[in-house]
Amino acid sequence: MMSNEELFAFVKKNRLAVACGVLSVGLALAAYYRGDGLAENQAVLDQKAVEGRRLALNLKNAAQLDEQLAAVSAAAAEIKPRLVRVDELANNLQYFYKLEAETGTRLSQLQQTANAASVARWTKTNPKAAFVPIGFSLSVEGEYPALLDFLRRLENGTHYARAVAASVNILKPDRSGPYVLQLNVELLGTP
Amino acid sequence: MLSLRRKKTDAAVSQEPPWHPNFRNFERLPDTKVVRTAFFINVGAIALTAMVALWFAFQEYELRDLRLQIDAWQQEIDRNKPPSTRAVAQFRKFQEEASRIQEINTFVTARPAVSDLLVQLGQTLPANIAIDGLELRDTGLRLIASVRGAPELASGHASTYLAQLRANARLAEWFEQIELQSINRNQQTGRLVVEYLLKTKKEKGAKK
Repeated sequence: MMSNEELFAFVKKNRLAVACGVLSVGLALAAYYRGDGLAENQAVLDQKAVEGRRLALNLKNAAQLDEQLAAVSAAAAEIKPRLVRVDELANNLQYFYKLEAETGTRLSQLQQTANAASVARWTKTNPKAAFVPIGFSLSVEGEYPALLDFLRRLENGTHYARAVAASVNILKPDRSGPYVLQLNVELLGTP
Repeated sequence: MLSLRRKKTDAAVSQEPPWHPNFRNFERLPDTKVVRTAFFINVGAIALTAMVALWFAFQEYELRDLRLQIDAWQQEIDRNKPPSTRAVAQFRKFQEEASRIQEINTFVTARPAVSDLLVQLGQTLPANIAIDGLELRDTGLRLIASVRGAPELASGHASTYLAQLRANARLAEWFEQIELQSINRNQQTGRLVVEYLLKTKKEKGAKK
C-alpha cells in the first residue's frame, strides 16, 4: 500500500501522465453518461422524422383536395332532392302516377310496401347506411313500347330506383292485346 | 611486438566478484537512458487522453447533429401541422360524401335494369322465336318463349337460341348458368313453348 507521501511523490514525479489519466477518466465518464442521450435523441429524431414525413405526405396528397371535395359536395347536394321519404306516401305514389300519365300506360295496382316500422328495422340492421330502400309494388298495363318507356323513365328518373322483381306477360294468347308488367321496385330514400 | 599480457575477456570480468560493495541506490539515481522512460509514459498518457477526447468530441458532434436534425424536423412539423390538420378534416368530409355516393352507386348497380334486359333480349331475338313472358327474381330470370315452325325444326331453333343466350356477353355480366328448363307443345297453337332459366351470379344475387 502506497503512503500519502509516496503517492504525492509519484504524482509530483509524473505530473503530466497523472493529469492525462485524470482527464481521460473524466472524459470517459462524461462520454459514458452522455452516450445515453445519443440513443434518446436518435429515438426522438426517428419519431419526428416519421411525423414530419406523414404531414408532408398529407399535404402532397391534399394538393387537389379542395377541388375534389367541391366536386363531391356538389354531387352530394344533388342527391338530397332525389331521395324519397317513407312518410310522404302521397308524394311517393304521385311519382308513379306521373310516369303513368307521361307514358300512356295504366297502373292497375300500386302500393308502397315499406312503412316507418320496416324502415326502422332496416336501419337497425344496417346502422352504417346513409339511405334506406323504400319498397313499392305495382302492376302496369300497356303496349310493349309504352311499358318499356315506363320502365326506362322509372329506372333513370328523378329518384334512384332498382327493380327487385319483375315479370312481363302478355294478356291475350293471340299477342294482340296489351302487356302487363308486375314490378317490385325500390326507391332510395331517407328514414 | 605484441604484448605478452593478455586482456581479460568480459566474461572473465563478470565472473569476478566486485572488489568492494555497491552502495548505489538505483531508484534515486537519475535516468541516464538516451530516451527517458518518463517520455514514453507521458506520450502514452497524452495519446490515450487524445483518443478519449476525440471519442468524446465525436460523440458530442453526433449529439449536436441529432439536435439540429430534430430542430429542423420540428420546424417543418410546426409549419405543416395546421394545413395538414385542415387537409385531414377535408379528407374525412370527402370520404363521408364519397361513401354516400358509393352507397347510391351500389344500390343502383346491384340489380340489372329490367329495361336494358328487355332491350337486349328484343335485339337478339331470332325471327322464329317470340317471348311470351319473363320473370325476374333474386335467383334468376325465367324466360318463356314460343317457337315457330314444325316441331322437328323448332326444337333445333330452341337449342340454337340457348347457345345464343349463353354467348351473349351482356347477359353474362349478370347470369352465370343458362339452361333450357322445359319444352312443351301448346295444344291450341301447336307451337313449341320453351322455358329458359338464367341463374343470377352469386355475387350479384346477394341483396345490397
